[in-house]
Amino acid sequence: MFIPAAARDAAQFAARDAAPAMADRPAPPPADGEAKVSVTAELLSTWLGFADVQRRTLDIVQSELTRTSDHVETSTLDLSERFRELAQKALEQSERVEQIVAMAGSVDIDGERMPLDTLVVGMQDMITDMVTNIVTLSRHAMSMVYLLDDVQKDVAELEKSIGDIDGINRQTNFLALNATIEASRAGEAGRTFAVVAQEVRHLSRTTGELADRMRSKVGAVVKGVRNGHDILRQIANTDMSPQMLAKERVDKTMDSLVAQTTHFQAVLETAASVSTDMSSTIAHVITGMQFQDLTKQRIEAINDSLAIMSAGLGELETRIRAQVPPGIGAREPQEWLNQLMGRFTLSEMRERFVRKLLLEGTALDENGVLDLDVGGDNGSGGDIELF
Amino acid sequence: MYSETLNLKDDPMDYGIEVRDQEAVVRLRGRLTFNDHAKLRALIGEMGQNKPRRQVLDLSSLEFVDSAGIGMLLIAREEMDRADKQFVLRAAAGQVKRVLTVAQIAKIVQIED
Repeated sequence: MFIPAAARDAAQFAARDAAPAMADRPAPPPADGEAKVSVTAELLSTWLGFADVQRRTLDIVQSELTRTSDHVETSTLDLSERFRELAQKALEQSERVEQIVAMAGSVDIDGERMPLDTLVVGMQDMITDMVTNIVTLSRHAMSMVYLLDDVQKDVAELEKSIGDIDGINRQTNFLALNATIEASRAGEAGRTFAVVAQEVRHLSRTTGELADRMRSKVGAVVKGVRNGHDILRQIANTDMSPQMLAKERVDKTMDSLVAQTTHFQAVLETAASVSTDMSSTIAHVITGMQFQDLTKQRIEAINDSLAIMSAGLGELETRIRAQVPPGIGAREPQEWLNQLMGRFTLSEMRERFVRKLLLEGTALDENGVLDLDVGGDNGSGGDIELF
Repeated sequence: MYSETLNLKDDPMDYGIEVRDQEAVVRLRGRLTFNDHAKLRALIGEMGQNKPRRQVLDLSSLEFVDSAGIGMLLIAREEMDRADKQFVLRAAAGQVKRVLTVAQIAKIVQIED
């Protein structure tokens, strides 16, 4: 292991300081570092055991810290990346929603965007015009019906008048006939009068023919007027009031459509702004993730100081071992180890401690500290186990 | 119920006239449809002859009017104009009121509640 100069100095310093601390009673101040003190073999053996375990503990704490720092770094980078994706998606979402908002208030008619409210007003105007047309049409149809009612009456009058002409004509004819008879009685004196009477009869016949022609024509007119009247009645009798009242329904539908669209737009606008807020919040989260960098630096600093401590301890241990008689070994600090092992609830971490402290060390598992089950629990490493 | 509805449908319009000092009030009842056109024409003639200048058609008892009926009411207004009389439609309700509203008759004829 690389030991920086500062660490070496610290180790030597610690060794000088530690030696007197190990003693049971205060030793006389060493003049040149070679002063001898008496220490019990038990205390020395205990210290050696502690030193061994402490060094190993420091090692494993360092590696755990490094492991943790790496884990935090990987996870943070992963999280940042995911959050960045999330922010991007939230932004895209808000753009899409804004597009919908822009489209929602209008419709495409013959390639032209028309605001919905303008369209609705236009359609309502159209229906109003239609209803107005129906009203005007109904009024005209009724005027026409009344007019034709009158025409029918007039034509009936006309038919009666033609009948009157016939009556007059019959009388005229009768008079002319009488005149002819009287003229022939008058002999030579009535000859001229007979001619006149003849002419009158002729006139009467012509008038009769004229009356016939008129009757026939008037008959045709009456027939036509009656047909027209019937058709017009059918038209006027077609009730358009339900179509007029349809305007009420159309108006309500249009109003409801506009209201619904306005509501949708409001909701979508909120959604778009929420998406934007989300993406900016996520950006803040990503910035917040930079704590990891600081944490990493702190852990590195802690690890450096732990390395110095570990090196110092190792050197001191070596120096003391060199002066200890061969019969005195390190005694395992069993109680301390038990306390230490009791702290680890993460099985994976506990396993690493067991390996380092017990299997690699001089410690024995005679007191049952080494729990072999722990080693076999690799699959669930990292999970928190409840004891 | 059904026959009642049928009766309603065949029920022709009829009317009563009340001539007061200031106005003549004609109360229409039943359903005003094309079939009543001769009757309405006679009514229009009567209204033209009534003394008061203000001629009011009370529609509160009128249940229904068809599009021909609307046309006839407009003709009545024209005739009243010609006879220099004021024509008022009063107290329309239900379908009659709705049709008058949709047809925007208020733009042409004075309407009172």
